[in-house]
Amino acid sequence: MQKTSEDDTKHPTFRGVRMRSWGKWVSEIREPRKKSRIWLETYPTAEMAARAHDVGALAIKGCSAYLNFPELAKELPLPASMSPKEIQAATSRAAASTRIINSSFNTEMLSCQWTGGIEAIVARLELPSRLSWFLGRFLALYSMAKDPVRVLVTGAAGQIGYALVPMIARGVMLGPDQPVILHMLDIEPAAEALTGVRMELVDAAFPLLRDVVVTTDVTVACKGVNIAVMVGGFPRKEGMERKDVMSKNVSIYKAQASALEKQAAPDCKVLVVANPANTNALILKEFAPSIPEKNITCLTRLDHNRALGQLSERLKIHVSEVKNVIIWGNHSSTQYPDVNHATVTPANGEEKPVRSVVADDNWLNTEFITMVQQRGAAIIKARKLSSALSAASAACDHIRDWVVGTPKGTWVSMGVYSDGSYGIQPGVIYSYPVTCDKGQWSIVQGLKIDDFSRQKMDATAKELVEEKTLAYSCLN
Amino acid sequence: MAKEPVRVLVTGAAGQIGYALVPMIARGIMLGADQPVILHMLDIPFAAEALNGVKMELVDAAFPLLKGVVATTDVVEACTGVNVAVMVGGFPRKEGMERKDVMSKNVSIYKSQASALEQHAAPNCKVLVVANPANTNALILKEFAPSIPAKNITCLTRLDHNRALGQISERLSVQVSDVKNVIIWGNHSSTQYPDVNHATVGDKPVRELVKDDEWLNGEFITTVQQRGAAIIKARKLSSALSAASAACDHIRDWVLGTPEGLWVSMGVYSDGSYNVPAGVIYSFPVTCKNGEWTIVQGLAIDEFSRKKLDLTGAELTEEKELAYSCLS
Repeated sequence: MQKTSEDDTKHPTFRGVRMRSWGKWVSEIREPRKKSRIWLETYPTAEMAARAHDVGALAIKGCSAYLNFPELAKELPLPASMSPKEIQAATSRAAASTRIINSSFNTEMLSCQWTGGIEAIVARLELPSRLSWFLGRFLALYSMAKDPVRVLVTGAAGQIGYALVPMIARGVMLGPDQPVILHMLDIEPAAEALTGVRMELVDAAFPLLRDVVVTTDVTVACKGVNIAVMVGGFPRKEGMERKDVMSKNVSIYKAQASALEKQAAPDCKVLVVANPANTNALILKEFAPSIPEKNITCLTRLDHNRALGQLSERLKIHVSEVKNVIIWGNHSSTQYPDVNHATVTPANGEEKPVRSVVADDNWLNTEFITMVQQRGAAIIKARKLSSALSAASAACDHIRDWVVGTPKGTWVSMGVYSDGSYGIQPGVIYSYPVTCDKGQWSIVQGLKIDDFSRQKMDATAKELVEEKTLAYSCLN
Repeated sequence: MAKEPVRVLVTGAAGQIGYALVPMIARGIMLGADQPVILHMLDIPFAAEALNGVKMELVDAAFPLLKGVVATTDVVEACTGVNVAVMVGGFPRKEGMERKDVMSKNVSIYKSQASALEQHAAPNCKVLVVANPANTNALILKEFAPSIPAKNITCLTRLDHNRALGQISERLSVQVSDVKNVIIWGNHSSTQYPDVNHATVGDKPVRELVKDDEWLNGEFITTVQQRGAAIIKARKLSSALSAASAACDHIRDWVLGTPEGLWVSMGVYSDGSYNVPAGVIYSFPVTCKNGEWTIVQGLAIDEFSRKKLDLTGAELTEEKELAYSCLS
């Protein structure tokens, strides 16, 4: 295979297909008589990328296009001329041709790396305007032909919900070419506010948002959902004991577990955000036994992102240059932000361990840890409201990486059902370093754990076991 | 990430619209998924701690496109080097306030911010005024920043435009992305005129598909005009989410261009097209290319529309007079 200067690898047989260094396949097409390339999407298999190439090739070159699958493309109608009417007719017929579309995409969640909006790509090319219109429309229809994914947000009338739903509707969670249907659930007292959010979603004219289901009925809310983001829960109020908060939330998650199990689509992916997140997720898992335990997770990506942010501020570098922190354990003040395997990779530079670049173990073992642990409180102090923006953003990151996959060499933190890895008691939802591929997460194994880390990891595990006991006592 | 970052200013950034808007900008919704940005956030000293809280959250979100955040209460620092300015900050109408009072407060704000922008923004800075009274705030800004080209100062009617698309899509049970070319004429106020006479779904005129001129000339118009109040009634808060989203759409289409055959609505400095008053900021149908907007000319205006265009034009002229009287 040929190597290019971008470290891509050309496919040996398919035209217009390259493999990225992180293992995904990207399709490209050259514009005639020009050096510039039109980058199409990234795909998990070379075959899918090759089909995408064919779509673009036909658009640009028409009958003289070299195609990877000429037998399939014969079903694609060619415009008889470049008149807008002919092009429009061909586009509509091609989009209606489900064989190309369904053979490329399975009914499961799509694993396509987000490389950027189609309009942005096409706009940059300065093609003759008819050509760019055709290409843009063809590609948009090709991708808009994806079946919409149903995403449930509970507690949707609240602050996190309000920040989260426009992100979902803009494709931040699942990609700019993945249509979505939003399901929004909240309690009866919030029904009018919830309707207000629905009105605003209509008013925003989001191209990707196919429909909005607004309800106070959990059965309706859960019906057919592919992704569930559980933001709703009972907030701690002044004077409330920990047991009281736990008790309220345990009832909520038990009830919602039932509805999800019965109504959600098969292989529904669940993310619990509402605190106590780990234990709410555990209760949900326990009372929805037919949902695979691997599909029930809780959000520690916010803490993970906060840790990255703190390191980037300390080192005065861009946050995209830091990676592979780990958040271990409970999304609470016992969480352990671990930098022992984190690295810094400046542009055009060598990857170096964070510990050696920071050169301040004392800070990393004390102030850094407490800053990340207590960041939520710091936000509340500054804003007088809790961190909706960053929590919503982290929820999108969590789902997107789970569905689309993590880049090669990078892991993220997710609260997942413990299998005993790293000596943590099985049977709690514990945050681990994970990589994601084909819609599944896997715990990164074999990382060295020093004594300091061991203590921290055990302390947060202990708290989770206590929470589990408390939760069960509330149920009796 | 080879592109140079673009500096985007948001005034009133500690408020509700700002909170909805900044993550959208940081995710590339305003300028494209490959365009790095540096956010400048300005608010009044009273909101300094809250503003810092927003900055903390932007750091906590680890946005790949966000190359820097400047959070400040100093308008000069806020305006320095900005390429795009979204003016969300303004004096909100409070209970018991007269129209003249609201106008008076806002006119002072926009006069002083005009000065800072003119002196410190990057050349060819694109300005979008959101805070109400949007059209007149934008006009004051233009008048007191004479070295900013008039064509670079706009106000937001894209929210009303998107609301109109949404209403038609709900009425016809079609995808909103299939509805095109409504127009919002005039003032971003209750005299705005949502016009469907040139709107289509596919290649069919909306009027033909809806088959209900009474609704299109009556309830549809008032629904769009009064939508803001309806949102406040339902949410007990004003429409931050959809306003922020519309601001992103406005800037994105302005900078990246509108698709062929499609226009959008923008409040722009009137040249007297369609016989509306010149010298006010009036919402017109526009197409955008190479970073410039152009009014769509030659659309037929029927009698019903003519009256509406004139009515909202007259209101803008009144507002202009009121604004100037506040400055004297």
